Amino acid sequence: MSNPLHQIMDALDVETFIVCDNELQGRNIMLNMLKNWGFSDVDIVFAQHVGPGTRIRGRAYAYRPADKYAWLLREAAKVDQP
Amino acid sequence: MKKSVVLAPLDPVHDIGLKMIARGLTQAGHEIFLLPPDLTSDEIIETIFSKEKVDVLLLSRTLGYGVGEILARFIDVSDAAGLRNNTKIGIGGMAIRPELAAELGFDAGFGPGTTIEEVICFVEGREYHPDPFRSKKEKIDMTASYDYQYRHTGIGEKLAKISDMILDWVKDKTSPGVKRAKLRDELWDVDRWRRREGNGELYNQYPEMCSEVPQKYYTTGELHPKTRRFTVEEVRGLEHYLEETKRRMSVLKLQHTRKKPLVFNQYGTGCPFMDVGHILASEAWGADGVVHFDPSWGARTEGFLDGFLTHQEDGTVITPANLNRIHGALEKSTLWQVRAHRGLNTPETVVLAGKIGADLTKINICYGSLGAGTDPERMTIDGYHSILFAKKYNMPFDVVTNEELAGVPAHKAFAGMLIVSDLAVRLGARPILQPLFAYSPEVMIHEYMEDNYIDFNAAKIYALRQIINAPIWPGAPIGFLTHTEDRVQSATTTALHACLAMSLEVDAISIASTDEAYSGGPISVPAKIDTLRAVQDSLRFFGQASIKPTPQADKYAEQITERIEKVLEQVIKTGDFVSAIHNGVLGSREEGAYPGRIGKDTVTTI
Repeated sequence: MSNPLHQIMDALDVETFIVCDNELQGRNIMLNMLKNWGFSDVDIVFAQHVGPGTRIRGRAYAYRPADKYAWLLREAAKVDQP
Repeated sequence: MKKSVVLAPLDPVHDIGLKMIARGLTQAGHEIFLLPPDLTSDEIIETIFSKEKVDVLLLSRTLGYGVGEILARFIDVSDAAGLRNNTKIGIGGMAIRPELAAELGFDAGFGPGTTIEEVICFVEGREYHPDPFRSKKEKIDMTASYDYQYRHTGIGEKLAKISDMILDWVKDKTSPGVKRAKLRDELWDVDRWRRREGNGELYNQYPEMCSEVPQKYYTTGELHPKTRRFTVEEVRGLEHYLEETKRRMSVLKLQHTRKKPLVFNQYGTGCPFMDVGHILASEAWGADGVVHFDPSWGARTEGFLDGFLTHQEDGTVITPANLNRIHGALEKSTLWQVRAHRGLNTPETVVLAGKIGADLTKINICYGSLGAGTDPERMTIDGYHSILFAKKYNMPFDVVTNEELAGVPAHKAFAGMLIVSDLAVRLGARPILQPLFAYSPEVMIHEYMEDNYIDFNAAKIYALRQIINAPIWPGAPIGFLTHTEDRVQSATTTALHACLAMSLEVDAISIASTDEAYSGGPISVPAKIDTLRAVQDSLRFFGQASIKPTPQADKYAEQITERIEKVLEQVIKTGDFVSAIHNGVLGSREEGAYPGRIGKDTVTTI
């Protein structure tokens, strides 16, 4: 089976609540988590620390504009199939 | 053919969904047996066998706990009893997902959002096609019902004088942008180009009329450093992707029982292929129109590149091939706006967009001069010709007032917008007023929105309607400067501003994605869908009901109207529109408006 990540049009967002002391900790945990999952182009879209932890949305870009998108190239491959 | 259907809730109490479906099936002429809640699997199956013939069993399950086990057990028991030899079994409810139902061996699974028609189709063994009345969309000309008559005669008379001044100023002037636009208009045959028969004689003269980047492209083939050509494989991939996607494409309507406002969102990831992906998703989730954003360097460049190009940064490069591919990917009902308002290619953008098939464009001399960096003289002559081309290519255009974001007060931005609109009407074009719905610097300083975001935005619409009978399309996007990086907050503020626009019965709105306040990377597809969904649900919530501004909105409207008239008086007193821009009458340096310098000294006398 082809890599399912290749079917993501542009970016994968991960939203969760991280139990931590402050926003910076939450940000670092999210970034490390995304990197541990194998993503390299990662960022924090939103983070807000209140009381018990950080509500956070991390983003991993599967593709940026002008990359070669596997979800498109597989369409070309389909055309080539007999 | 009449079917016998048993409906049974697999829950202790919940059976509302089944009751609604039972009613639909009864109306469709089928024989219905609705069983009470809280029966065991065995009791349900016994009931079915007690009847002569049951064609379909519809089960429902609302509660999520243990759902997998309960449904699996039901299938086991019904298989053992031989129930499925003659009876189809469907399962629906809040706890059901089609993939779970298929995995467990049900004949159909109906999750949240299922329509009664969908279930009837299953019962009758027909393929389900979504209701054409909900998904059928047509292009709408939002200018059609407006006559552009002035309701405020004092302002109308002043605008007429200013238009006279502008017409007198432009009559003996031209610019490289105007010359290129005329060349493209006269020599470039889009049908011939689409037949791959070349560009005619256009490029014999065109390169020498361009600045460095396009000139290099035409003489050496060198591209802008942030761009590249697509590969043949990518192009074939796009064509196949489009063919496959179009086959299953359907479009939602965001409006509920009202017809307005039309909803636009923007695209311009840099890559026309990614744009196509974003546009298809936007159309599917209900956008009525899309707006093309080009890179900021495009506004500072004389002339267009050519070819099928992708760009690594924000803004999709305008080339004939790029625009043509995007145009070819659009649904027939989608309104397509190519903005042309602010740079050295303004008139040629209108010509190119018009030839390729755009429905709308965007022109504002004042914003282009004061908020977008183009020299006021250059912007005036280019803007004038852009309006003429917009008329020729039958494209209404919005007159944007984004200089408000720099700090220019609304009444000054509106005076500039009305000047351009009056000129356009005089020239036979069809302008659309585009006030901002924004938490602008003026609003912050004067605390106009201390209590609510409604009154000052409503006042803008009231003021414009007191002045002229013209279409209004707030933007761009609505709720500017109220968005944060929080997805929920961002979708909520967009939806609320959309409801205000709906209540004020404006013609259209431009909405942001929930990535509006995020600056770390390109806007993502889900972020676009977030706001489209939020707007759809909000419009559904209100229906024909409305948001009611407080009496303060009328006071603000009166204040805006009075101040617009005073600004117009000052422009007339200055004696020259271009000088008025330089002198700060339509937005001063103190207010954050700086007359642009791009294209300075390029206007020549004929």
